[in-house]
Order: sequence, then C-alpha cells, then structure tokens
Amino acid sequence: MKIKVMSLHVDDQSKALRFYTEVLGFAKKTDFSQGPYRWLTVASPEEPDGTELQLALNDNPAAKAYQQALFQQGQPAAMFFTDDVKGDYERIKSRGAEFTKPPTDVTGSTIAMLKDTCGNLIQLTQLAKY
Amino acid sequence: MNEGAQYTPGPASGAQIRKDGEKWTLILVRELRHAPEKVWQALTDPAHLREWAPFDADGNLGTIGTTVKLTTVGAPALHVTETTVTRADAPEVLEYKWGGFDMRWELEDLGGGTRLTLWTNIGHRFISMGAAGWHICFDVLDHLLSGTPIGRMVGPDAMKFGGWQRLNAEYAKQFGIEAPNWPPPAAQKS
Repeated sequence: MKIKVMSLHVDDQSKALRFYTEVLGFAKKTDFSQGPYRWLTVASPEEPDGTELQLALNDNPAAKAYQQALFQQGQPAAMFFTDDVKGDYERIKSRGAEFTKPPTDVTGSTIAMLKDTCGNLIQLTQLAKY
Repeated sequence: MNEGAQYTPGPASGAQIRKDGEKWTLILVRELRHAPEKVWQALTDPAHLREWAPFDADGNLGTIGTTVKLTTVGAPALHVTETTVTRADAPEVLEYKWGGFDMRWELEDLGGGTRLTLWTNIGHRFISMGAAGWHICFDVLDHLLSGTPIGRMVGPDAMKFGGWQRLNAEYAKQFGIEAPNWPPPAAQKS
C-alpha cells in the first residue's frame, strides 16, 4: 500500500486547476471525466511521480459545510512542504495569491497560509533544521 | 454481457455540438422503433434506467418537482448528486440536471416510433467521449426496448470496449476537436 492521492474539495475545478498550476506551480497530472464526474489531479514538478492532489468538485452539501467551517476557523485544508517558505511566499504572492499569514516561525517549522480561491486555506510548511 | 460481446456500434452519427463560450452543448438524435410512451418509461423509471443509463436513480424522474438522487455508475469515486425534475411533460419533454449537466430529452412521435433528442452541456474537452458513451447507451436502450437486452455498458465497461474508442475518435473528428488522451498516460505506461 502507498499513499498516492490526497483529495481536496474545490468549488470550481477549472478555477482550481489554474490556481494550483499557474499560481502555486504544480503540474496537471490526470484529467478525465465520466459523465458529470471529473477526476482531476496535480503533482509537484519536483516530484512528478509523487503524491497527487485530487481537486474534487465539492457538490456535496455535507462536505461544503465542513469546508466552510474549516475555512472560517482558519484551519488549512491541505499542507505542502517546501525548502524555502519565504521564497515561495514571495513568488506566490507576486502571482496574486492572498496570504492570511506571512511566513511565521512556530515550534519546529516556519509556516505561511494562503487562500486557494476555491474555498480552502492552504498551509506552506518549512521544517526547521536543528 | 453475453450478447454484448458480439455487439459492434455503428458509425458516429446523429450528433451535433452547439458552442457558447466555454459551455458546449451536445445534441444527440436517435430514431427508435418504439412508441414515445415506452421510451418515456425507459427514461424515467429507475428499474429501466438501470438497464441502460450511465446513472442510477433512486426515484422516478417522470414527475415535475420530484427530487431524485442520481449515482454516476463506475465513477472513480462515489458520485451522487441530487436533482429536481424541472419539466416532465409525458411523453414529450423531460428536464432535470445530472450533476452540473443540464439534461433535456425530447420525444417526437413518428407514428409508432420515436425520434429521441438529448441536449446536454458537457465540458468541451470531453464532448467526444460523452457522444461515444451516449451512442452506446442508445444502442443498449434500443436493444432493451426490442426485448433483446445486451446489458448496460457504461463507465469502465464502455471505455475498455474497442467500439467506444473508435466512436470517441470519430466524434472528435466530426466535431473538429482533438480526441481526449485516453487511456491516461499513467495507465498506458504500466
């Protein structure tokens, strides 16, 4: 068994694809549809065969309520690791993304938080080196 | 699918697309040798839909205002959407939504037969896949109504089928679009 895909609910898949590729810098991995269902994933160009992130259309009322509650509480729906959180912060911000938390030192890591424009907060994490 | 093994779909035909920006509508026409009342039942009764349609319904779609849950068959993750029937003029016009798709069915009486027309909006990158899928569904429906069922062929069953792949390429050519990359590169590699 391997952890290969993680799912994230988004309110618009086309918008999400643009944000996760053009703003965050991931690459589209798989995109196909069956009827109204669209399976869409992205992966990191640093790790093209690594874990995929599924951008799943949130058309489920229960999931919508959960997504909104997490967002309002300031809880990230997903967390990405980076070796350069400050560099990523500048790069992503320059492409128009809205951060709710600039790079901030916390125990064991430096984190930043941004809005993905599709209903979620995303956390960037750089682990501290001791 | 015993008889399904011998089934070969005919050439791509009866499909048009209408473009409105990003939103494309697929229009499919099929003439059936069955009365509109019989076709109407196949379009609305969950027990009939289960025999040919790409979704299962948990209630009858034949009454305006009814809320019905539709389950996409064979989707890679459980996909259930709720719809409210917005038009049900038996046996002529039926409208509801399947997920984000508007579904409009029109049944025209051909004196014993029916000209069935489906309008459905669909992402333009996948419109030839949709046309190929519905083409096969309509063949399965025709066999079902004739009393010689060949078994539902949707989702992965259809996509594995050579006839579907040919239709997908033919419809893509007719529509002047590139056929979607199928199977996905990841599946081709292994």
